[in-house]
Amino acid sequence: MLDDTKKIFIQESEELLEQMENALLEMEQVPDDAEHLNSVFRAIHTIKGAAGIFGFDAIVAFTHPVESVMDNVRNGIRLVDPDLVALLLKCKDHTANLVESISDGQEDISEALLEAGQTLLDELNPEQKSGALDVVKNKRENIEVSDRKNASDDNWVISLDFKSDALRNGLDPLSFINYLKRMGEIVEIITFTHDFPCWEDMEPESCYLSFRIALLSSASKEEIKSVFEFAMDDCELRIIPPRSELEKYLALLEELTGEELNKLGELLIQVGALTEQELSNALQVQSSVLSDDAATQEVKPLGEILVEQHVVSKGVVDKAVEKQESIREKIAQETQYIRVDADRLGQLINLVGELVISNAAVKLLVEKHDLADVQEVVNGVEGLVENIRDHALQLRMVQIGDTFSRFRRVVRDVSKDLNKDVELVITGGEAELDKTVVEKINDPLTHLVRNSLDHGFETPEERVAQGKPKKGVLRLNALHDSGHIVIQIADDGAGLDTKKIRKKAEEKGLIYAGQELSHREILRLIFEPGLTTKDTASNISGRGVGMDVVKRNIDALRGSIEVDSERGKGTLVTIHLPLTLAIIEGFMVGVEKERFVIPLSMVEECVEMDTNEWHLDKNSHYVNLRGQVMPYIKLSEFFGVNYQHGRRGRESLVVVRVGRAKAGIVVDRLFGELQTVIKPLGKVFQGLKGVSGATVLGSGDIALILDVQGLIGLASAKASDVKTLESV
Amino acid sequence: MNDLAIAENNNDPYGLGGVVMDDAYQFLTFSVLGKLMAIGILDVKEIIEVSSMTRVPMTQNSIRGVINLRGNVVPVVDLGARLGSHVIKLTKKSCIVLVSLAFHGETQTMGILVEQVNEILSIPEQNRQKPPDFGTDIDSKFISQIGRYEDDFIILLNKEKVLCVEELSDQIVAAQSSLCVYK
Repeated sequence: MLDDTKKIFIQESEELLEQMENALLEMEQVPDDAEHLNSVFRAIHTIKGAAGIFGFDAIVAFTHPVESVMDNVRNGIRLVDPDLVALLLKCKDHTANLVESISDGQEDISEALLEAGQTLLDELNPEQKSGALDVVKNKRENIEVSDRKNASDDNWVISLDFKSDALRNGLDPLSFINYLKRMGEIVEIITFTHDFPCWEDMEPESCYLSFRIALLSSASKEEIKSVFEFAMDDCELRIIPPRSELEKYLALLEELTGEELNKLGELLIQVGALTEQELSNALQVQSSVLSDDAATQEVKPLGEILVEQHVVSKGVVDKAVEKQESIREKIAQETQYIRVDADRLGQLINLVGELVISNAAVKLLVEKHDLADVQEVVNGVEGLVENIRDHALQLRMVQIGDTFSRFRRVVRDVSKDLNKDVELVITGGEAELDKTVVEKINDPLTHLVRNSLDHGFETPEERVAQGKPKKGVLRLNALHDSGHIVIQIADDGAGLDTKKIRKKAEEKGLIYAGQELSHREILRLIFEPGLTTKDTASNISGRGVGMDVVKRNIDALRGSIEVDSERGKGTLVTIHLPLTLAIIEGFMVGVEKERFVIPLSMVEECVEMDTNEWHLDKNSHYVNLRGQVMPYIKLSEFFGVNYQHGRRGRESLVVVRVGRAKAGIVVDRLFGELQTVIKPLGKVFQGLKGVSGATVLGSGDIALILDVQGLIGLASAKASDVKTLESV
Repeated sequence: MNDLAIAENNNDPYGLGGVVMDDAYQFLTFSVLGKLMAIGILDVKEIIEVSSMTRVPMTQNSIRGVINLRGNVVPVVDLGARLGSHVIKLTKKSCIVLVSLAFHGETQTMGILVEQVNEILSIPEQNRQKPPDFGTDIDSKFISQIGRYEDDFIILLNKEKVLCVEELSDQIVAAQSSLCVYK
């Protein structure tokens, strides 16, 4: 139970911290944007509040001063400058560290971490102390001028009525009151039990309690309110600031009777919110309705009641309005989204996969027994299953924008470290893909972005000397293309030095001297292990591990990566990825008795091969397809199939396209489209190229899924002439 | 006391997956390459008949293929090809022994194709001995012990080595690149 809530806390904190970082980075660009400011404030504030409820004191202790600084910034006391943003970013990182240490299950925060936090706070505070505190003091003085003499300072009166469902909804009134103690000192607390039914009607799970609390605190109304943020729906909360108008206190009294009224009256007098005079006056007003009340009070003559006109300052009103808006926003968001465990979605998708397979089995049987009437029903079911599959997969789709915006920080930090001036431009962030894919492209993307920053961009001086704008532009773009998502990372930096790559590759023995390679082939060499054009390794890149790892990661996702670069103009890296890793539309082909599935999105067309027209011989592995040279792979030869019955019928050519490359695959039979539930082949086959997975057919047999990209790669490696694979 | 000692320095010297061998430890015996072999009974998940197996192209002989085990794809290792160089001929008696292995924190189920499954035998400790340093035609790394049952010697296999995922996977890569060499 505790672990669950902890998990939620950690998850929410992570999300909030991410929001905070984005907002901070925006702030760096547009320092005066109130929206980002508020967003940072809200994030840190919510984390603090939640941490308080869960009792993570270290986080509260750290975030509170940060929040105060943000508050000052909001109120215009402190100005936003790059230093402050940098510092706040560090604070964000530190908070993330604190949260992480909790998620690691550490009860105590390590000394080093605490120290780091203190250093940050010290950095944050000196200015604040000199600047902000003075202003606060001034404010205080202003207030004191009009202060009532007999009222003690800063006594808040909080009326807290829990609804009867509060306990059932998992709230513990006591924990809120305990947390309130952090805000200040609880001077007095009265528990009212007037809602209590007679014992027979009492339900032990219902909450009948309400509280009137006098709190001595210098906290703002918003801060106090935030204590109850999680209970907003389950309690009625009224907070009366110190030195409020008399009517507000009186309103509190109105609904009470007898004993309780007296108690509260005393409380109000004690905390100085009301004078006895005012109280009795109030009671007199009430006595017309409740005659017995007046009798219990010592009635004093009507004096001149000094009604304080402490109009709440404009700032407070603004805050309240904003708070309301943010809550409203939050509620609106909550209705739009449901948080679901990723495992459950995974299970659902697995089940849908099994459903697809079972459906195929049913279809097979129906065809076998030739049941025309059942056929119709099965077709109907198939349509529904397809719909369910699409919707189930859709559930796991997320926008890539969040992944992209994480790189703002990377770009900012790395370019600062390298003294480069780079702007990140994000487009196509609304393109969606499977969450499991998103998680796995983060690392490769980070590599590519860092590479681009380190190798790609020149220093501002160099750029100016070359007549380029001082500021470099790094673009991240995403778009959908025939069942794939295309991610592009483009920079307008120096571009790749093909001569240097060539030289290095020769040194490493990847190619031999004088080997004829096209521009594209040379560029492709950067994905070979151990190759780096950087002469010295930095902590960012240049160790020659990276691009090959990137390629391997992308390959593992059944994707492809291509690089395009022009010296002096920039580099464009294009990644093609499948939208999902679970279920795809496949196209089944047969070779002898074996069956293989080609992802349908890669199939361009199928052509029947007439042996008279098509010239297939062992030497030239290409055919003439409507005047186009089409290299082909003969699957039977390639996979070493043994034909048991001599010559078969007509072969077919399946034309596939991967990125820019086109190729033909020669097969014996075409079976047509098939919903393919991808099953991993397992760790043993992880290094196998050309086969990316397996699927279970309706008959229970397994068909292998072809990795077209890998096949083409193998074929071009095998072919004596590297140029067989034509780039279109 | 002996049991306790083994349990304490649980180094798993016999590659039996952390199972503490007591005197009456049982083994599933089967024949491959005309020899009697066995693995610890606790390592065996199930034994199935060979129905339809799908060949995975471009792999070495020891990878016989993949099977559909209740919706999961399970690789099958040909024990004949793995231990020697004889690919097992499929007959009515051939069986797949399913074994699960821990690999990088995940459980990986693998099948072992054998010529014939025989019986379950109890081989007490005193009837088990270290493999000879030479003299076996099977790489001694695959053998954890030699057991004696009546007049027969039984090779007790080291499943971690026989089904070593890393080694098999490396062999696949090697087999594939030997097919496709840069010329």
